[in-house]
Amino acid sequence: MEARRIRMNRSFKMMIRRVYANRLMYLFILPGFIWFLIYKYGPMYGVVIAFKDFKFSEGILGSAWVGLKHFQYLFSMSDFYNIVRNTITINLWNLLFGFTAPIILALIMNEVYSLKFKKAVQLAVYFPHFLSWVVFGGIIINMLNPSQGMINMAIKALGGKPVHFLAQSKYFVGIVVITSIIKEAGWGTIVYLAALAGVDMDQYEAAVIDGANRWQKLIYITLPGISSTIIIMLILRVGYLLDVGFEQIYVLYNPSVYSVGDVISTYIYRMGLQNMQFSLTTAIGLFQGAINFALIFTTNTLAKRFSDVSIW
Amino acid sequence: MAKARRENPFIIIVLLAVAITAVIPIYYVIMTSLSQPSLVRQGELLLLPRGFTLDSYGMILKNGRFLNSFKVTLIRTLSGTALNLAMQSTFAYGLSKRYLPGRKFFMIFVVITMMFNGGIIPTYLVVRQTKIINTIFALLVPSAISAWNVIVLKSFFENIPESLEESARIDGANPFVIFARIVLPLSTPVLATIGLFAAVTHWNAFMDAIIYINKESLEVLQIYLRDMVLQFEVQSVMGDAMSLGDVSSLSLQTSAIFVSTIPMLLAYPFIQKHFVTGMMIGAVKG
Repeated sequence: MEARRIRMNRSFKMMIRRVYANRLMYLFILPGFIWFLIYKYGPMYGVVIAFKDFKFSEGILGSAWVGLKHFQYLFSMSDFYNIVRNTITINLWNLLFGFTAPIILALIMNEVYSLKFKKAVQLAVYFPHFLSWVVFGGIIINMLNPSQGMINMAIKALGGKPVHFLAQSKYFVGIVVITSIIKEAGWGTIVYLAALAGVDMDQYEAAVIDGANRWQKLIYITLPGISSTIIIMLILRVGYLLDVGFEQIYVLYNPSVYSVGDVISTYIYRMGLQNMQFSLTTAIGLFQGAINFALIFTTNTLAKRFSDVSIW
Repeated sequence: MAKARRENPFIIIVLLAVAITAVIPIYYVIMTSLSQPSLVRQGELLLLPRGFTLDSYGMILKNGRFLNSFKVTLIRTLSGTALNLAMQSTFAYGLSKRYLPGRKFFMIFVVITMMFNGGIIPTYLVVRQTKIINTIFALLVPSAISAWNVIVLKSFFENIPESLEESARIDGANPFVIFARIVLPLSTPVLATIGLFAAVTHWNAFMDAIIYINKESLEVLQIYLRDMVLQFEVQSVMGDAMSLGDVSSLSLQTSAIFVSTIPMLLAYPFIQKHFVTGMMIGAVKG
């Protein structure tokens, strides 16, 4: 007992000595540590206002606890079901087309032999990723404009009537999905192209000798070769089922399409910051975070069981 | 595979179509901004500008609000990128020292923030509490560190041979000198990648400006552009006559969009060299 205490004491002293010897190294860590504490852990603590009636005058600590009041109100609110449904709808379409588009594009790009041509295509398709949603969405709004936009000019030239695409709810989800594919699918190929570059060339040669055609090579060699990358990207993607990028929607939507276009993030912005409903919108954010976490956890567990690929 | 390989024409055509779709929006903007508005309205615009004019550029470059927002964005991009690099590299350097007691704790401390976050509103309240709302710092400080970049930098620093630092230490250099004279110069590729991507993010960011800034003198370019696009959209829905003399708001808008994209276009050749390094680090770690 005594010996153990002395030993522990000694190792404690040694640690103190090591800390002291490296004291200058902690100065490197200090600013970042404080930053994380304030701007990352501060908001995590601030989530408690979902269970309080937050008032500026009382602050986060002083505001009164109200238990699950905001959650009860939330689940009785038709707006809430509406924004959750819109968010999920947009994301499911995005998952179906937006997730597969970069995979297909990468597979097509992989079939090109000319490196110069491939590079030129890459430069073009990566470009829109570097534009902001204001710029890209602004251009789209322009192109879809009923009186002067390129698309409606073409419709008129073909004898049709101009359509105000962005004012009609039936087109909104389609526009969101298509514009995000045009903007991000190219950039999304990078991961898959890297995975494709890692597929063993010998396997293709062996397959060719065995008489395999292009499709057989694709199905039996290429796809299995990049399947783990696809699964990892899918897990990450599913974890964002309740998360539609704020910026895209904020730029493209307008009150006439709120019924299908209003998503969780835009609703939190409008209700929380413009109408000062801090506690209610924090409750929505907490709900969203909890569901996202549950989803990523579930898909990861499933992926681990069925394919032994997982992100943790 | 000794034979010369023949390209599949179908694949070439598909890829050309995809590439054209990706660049058409920006091409359309440039062509519209250079054309005579009346001709654009008649649907004359095809592949090349009709009735070439730079009038709208003249107007936009004289517009005080545009110039001010351009300046704010430029300042935020330069100082924000510098702050990002400084905060992330120092923090990551500290974390890269395997012998440092408590390193594991700091790592977990960082990784937790990648999995959980407080959300928009609690973050807004914290930013408010730190008294930086409606100041330029609201655009710089809350986004100063990305946990992801810290981990990338940390892995890079870990691969710098300890012996290099050891010999400097024997010569009496303190950690700050070692960091500035040995570690940073050896890390230029990764710092360039992170810096360029941070600069693009700052240039394009507007959510933080919407949330934290409510003051015209601090308006960023993206907000200005968004207001312009929105105004035009409202006008055209109302069926307003929207010509300002010979310059329509469509030309003004497209010119403003293009001017705001020029820095991106200038940076693109440099960014291009970092696509693969930047993403590769991400892909391996992901």
